[in-house]
Amino acid sequence: MDIYGLVRGPLVWVSLIVFVLGMVYQAQQFLSSTRVREVVLPPAALLGGGDFPRPLSLADISNSFFGIHPVITVVTTIFHVFLIMLPIFVLGHNVLFEESFGFSLFVFPEMVADVLTLVVIAGGFFFILRRLLVRRVRAITTFYDYFIVAVVVAPFVTGYIATHQLLNYETFLIFHILLGELMLIVIPFTKLKHGLLFFLYRYQMNYEHCLGAGSRVWSYNQAK
Amino acid sequence: MSDQDNKAVDRAEISGMLAKKAPEMKHILNYCLHCSLCAESCFLYMSHDGDPEYMPSYKVINSLGKLYKKKGNVDREFLEGIKGMVWNNCVLCHRCYCPIGIDIPRMIDFTRSICRSQGVFPELDEGESWL
Ligand code: HEM
Ligand code: SF4
Ligand code: SF4
Repeated sequence: MDIYGLVRGPLVWVSLIVFVLGMVYQAQQFLSSTRVREVVLPPAALLGGGDFPRPLSLADISNSFFGIHPVITVVTTIFHVFLIMLPIFVLGHNVLFEESFGFSLFVFPEMVADVLTLVVIAGGFFFILRRLLVRRVRAITTFYDYFIVAVVVAPFVTGYIATHQLLNYETFLIFHILLGELMLIVIPFTKLKHGLLFFLYRYQMNYEHCLGAGSRVWSYNQAK
Repeated sequence: MSDQDNKAVDRAEISGMLAKKAPEMKHILNYCLHCSLCAESCFLYMSHDGDPEYMPSYKVINSLGKLYKKKGNVDREFLEGIKGMVWNNCVLCHRCYCPIGIDIPRMIDFTRSICRSQGVFPELDEGESWL
């Protein structure tokens, strides 16, 4: 089997399996350190009033992340939406879906895909700049944080180079696939696992900032 | 000065405590995005002119995070070094707000337990800086 066949075949499966099993493991870690609350109070009850949800006031907005950090909130929202949508709706991937599974989805026009790619790459630069320039971010930044941004942005950079044949097409196509597989493998074992855990911590845990049912609490059965 | 001040720390005890909570604490330390968005929700950060040392995640990463990195192989000097961070720079008020739901005070609380097990905690007569 040639290199292309390898990265396009078995390695796709290896990375997908590691990704899925890794995520199941992380969800299990969450479940085992928490337990179902016996009496489930809706978060409204924790807030002390029965009038929740109440109409949003201006103070709610100015006290939210958007009010405190409008730029990062907007950038990170756009970055995340594009980052997740792009791989699903880009033409090249849908050709592969069609070949492998016999179906394909709605596909972005090439122009749109190009813009989304460049925006994701720009978002990556924004995060790196923030880490370099903002004092409080710098105080908790290590090499690892730059590595994670690089892992996420690299498939987009190489994908763009390959699509536009800016450099050798075949080489960059292989880089692109390999780096995408690397990202899948890295997600469950680094902070990138937040894509899944966000929903468990913010929706399942019963606390003030709970966004959902809040049916779980920390379990205290692991003695100190 | 109490007798505790010069006593060697019980590394086995520290490692034991860390190991028992590892599935939960390491899982969460690894989950933190190092994004700093929790900073403004801490009144101590706000009342110290945005000194990063008062940012919730900074306090956890540099106390409990380091304890796990060193696998509990620390000396009394290390524990004395983080003493102010976990006993003084955080009051466990639970006001911090993390976008991905990290429970900072829970981790500081655990770090305090480790310090306390080795006799590292503020004495009442340590004066105004603690009261
Ligand atoms: C779908 C649910 C997701 C939610 C709710 C979410 C939420 C967040 C939040 C709150 C931040 C911190 C704000 C910031 O620094 O920008 C963040 C950062 C980030 N997320 Fe996500 N995220 C999700 C999925 C993903 C996925 C699937 C990836 C990529 C694999 C990803 C990659 C990143 C990156 C690279 C950062 C920047 C970290 C840095 O500053 O170094 N996220 N996310
Ligand atoms: S604790 Fe939460 S808000 Fe603070 S740096 Fe970590 S992920 Fe960001
Ligand atoms: S619990 Fe500690 S870190 Fe969180 S807001 Fe209160 S003082 Fe700040």
